[in-house]
Amino acid sequence: MKILLVEDNERVSQFVVKGLQEAGHTTDHAANGRDGMFLAASEPYDVIVMDRMLPGDIDGLAIIEVLRKAGKHTPILILSALSEVDDRIRGLRSGGDDYLTKPFAFGELLARVDALHRRAHGVNHDIPLTVGNLHMDPMTRKVIRGDRQIVLQPREFKLLEYLMRHADQVVTRTMLLENVWDYHFDPQTNVVDVHISKLRQKIDAEFERPLLRTVRNAGYMVTAAD
Amino acid sequence: MTRMLRSSAVSLALGYIVLGLVSLVLFAAPLWYAWQGTIRDGRNEILQADAQRLTDIYRRDGSEALKNFIDARIRMQIAGDRILLLTDSARQPLAGNLPAWPNVPTTPGDYYVQVDMGARGPQTALVHVALLGSYNLLVGRDNRLFAPLEKRFWYGLTGAVAVLSIAGLLIGLITRRALMTRVDSLRQTISAIIHGDLTHRLPTHLSDDELNTLSRTINGMLEQIELLVHGVRNVSNSIAHDLRTPLAELRSRLEELSLIRPPAEETFAEIDGAVADVDRVIKIFDALLRLAEIDAGMRRSGFIAVDAADLAATAVEFYEPAAELKDITLTFQSDGSTPVSGDPVLLAQALSNLIDNALKFAPARGTIGVAVHKRSDGAVQISVADNGPGIQDQEKDKVFERFYRGDASRGTPGVGLGLSLVQAVAKLHGSALELSNLHPGLQVVLTLPGASLPHPGLS
Repeated sequence: MKILLVEDNERVSQFVVKGLQEAGHTTDHAANGRDGMFLAASEPYDVIVMDRMLPGDIDGLAIIEVLRKAGKHTPILILSALSEVDDRIRGLRSGGDDYLTKPFAFGELLARVDALHRRAHGVNHDIPLTVGNLHMDPMTRKVIRGDRQIVLQPREFKLLEYLMRHADQVVTRTMLLENVWDYHFDPQTNVVDVHISKLRQKIDAEFERPLLRTVRNAGYMVTAAD
Repeated sequence: MTRMLRSSAVSLALGYIVLGLVSLVLFAAPLWYAWQGTIRDGRNEILQADAQRLTDIYRRDGSEALKNFIDARIRMQIAGDRILLLTDSARQPLAGNLPAWPNVPTTPGDYYVQVDMGARGPQTALVHVALLGSYNLLVGRDNRLFAPLEKRFWYGLTGAVAVLSIAGLLIGLITRRALMTRVDSLRQTISAIIHGDLTHRLPTHLSDDELNTLSRTINGMLEQIELLVHGVRNVSNSIAHDLRTPLAELRSRLEELSLIRPPAEETFAEIDGAVADVDRVIKIFDALLRLAEIDAGMRRSGFIAVDAADLAATAVEFYEPAAELKDITLTFQSDGSTPVSGDPVLLAQALSNLIDNALKFAPARGTIGVAVHKRSDGAVQISVADNGPGIQDQEKDKVFERFYRGDASRGTPGVGLGLSLVQAVAKLHGSALELSNLHPGLQVVLTLPGASLPHPGLS
């Protein structure tokens, strides 16, 4: 996909652009608010990654507000060194779609960009989901793998649903915490891993090909690919 | 002088003096007017009576008798302050003590007129004019008789003005001095504080006057500032210690890597280790920032009505698999919906920290009980109890200190900020946090003020 990065820090920009390109995305980079605003308004992008604090008179939130008022609905991921919950809320309220605090792991950024892109292409909450031979019907809340019905607790269902909606994409622990439990903080121990291994017990244990995989240094992915 | 005028006490006194003068005039003016009227009426009556008497003599005994009567009166000094004059129709004096008819018409009535009384000089007098046949009669009294009374009135008024002004000024100056003394002592204390000594407190008395109330409020503020500064100092010491360690490790790891240049496989492992070190630093940093944010009390504006039982149920369910893994029984009890007013994110984090803590200390096959109860006074109690080693009484206060890690927590993950955060969240919500030893085990009880949940559908 085509991505615009608006970020003034040279090192961070280089690192992100290189990473995105390696992941197969075409990436444009703007180093200040003026260029960023111009590119964002004139070029069709799939996702915009916007630093919140930019040098000069136009900051990230201002660009987002202008874009939204002009009717541009490109999904935007805000990057910020401000980590306070209120700043996050302000960022999202200005029209951003997701918020990532600096410093971040590149895997986290990539996973969130992918998730934003997928979300922008419409999520039908009622359509049954399928990954390999694993089927989930959000309406009837039935989960079937092969010919066997799998019984899940409500939260396990929510966890699997989120993973399946982002099938073939890396989903980070933070994304799971935010979207499955609505936890916007970092629990001290890796409880998410325990939930995943429990879920894995239920959907993968008795099958030859595992669908729920761990992606080193990043998170998890549900995929039927090899 | 200008400095004096700028003093609030003096300008207040001046204001009061002006107010006093205005009210004095407002009081005296109608009095003066009424008094003058009464005097004039009285004098008119006297003069009319005099004229009537002279008229009676004229009617009874004729003009010669009247002339003789007037002459006799003047001669015998009975007239005194009286002015008497009888003239013919051409205004030629026939008898009396005025040399000529004064500047008044000969029509009957009462007039004020300037008369020349010879030896006594010109006087203002009130005169009554009457017609007796073809003669003109003038009866009057000069004003000298009433002059002392008027003078006394004016003396009295001037005296009152003087007393008012001087007393007002004096009170103003005295108040100013008293105020300056107290303000000066406040100023000295405050400048000592500005120069860095936060232990100073403003002097206060038992009284409840304005300055004292202000001083007490300022002292309360100083208390809070000292606490915060102390906290900041503690935190920066702790940061220095707890961030330095992982940073030092990271530095030596990288330096070694650059010096030794090991084979690629090993290099990658070292880099992964370095990233983990950095993540640890970031984690500590985030926790400290979160604490600072809570301590600053900025999040109180984001309070909404939240269901404590709901938050606790989610947290319990979140930790359930982790408990199972350690063979710990995690139970949850609640009285149903228990609304409190608070920040859902922070309360969830506090609950999660408490359960996480309990999981660290409960032994294998141990138990952890989480309970949410509504007290009869509406307050909501959230308790987390484990059957681990508990904590010593002397350790109770220390566990809330930042970066403190008890003996029992050695070797467990964490940076020693969990309970500090719980305490900060409790403080922000105005709630009590109690630790009690269950022998064995530790129970932490968080008591939150209750709230009413918004009507579903309205929210």
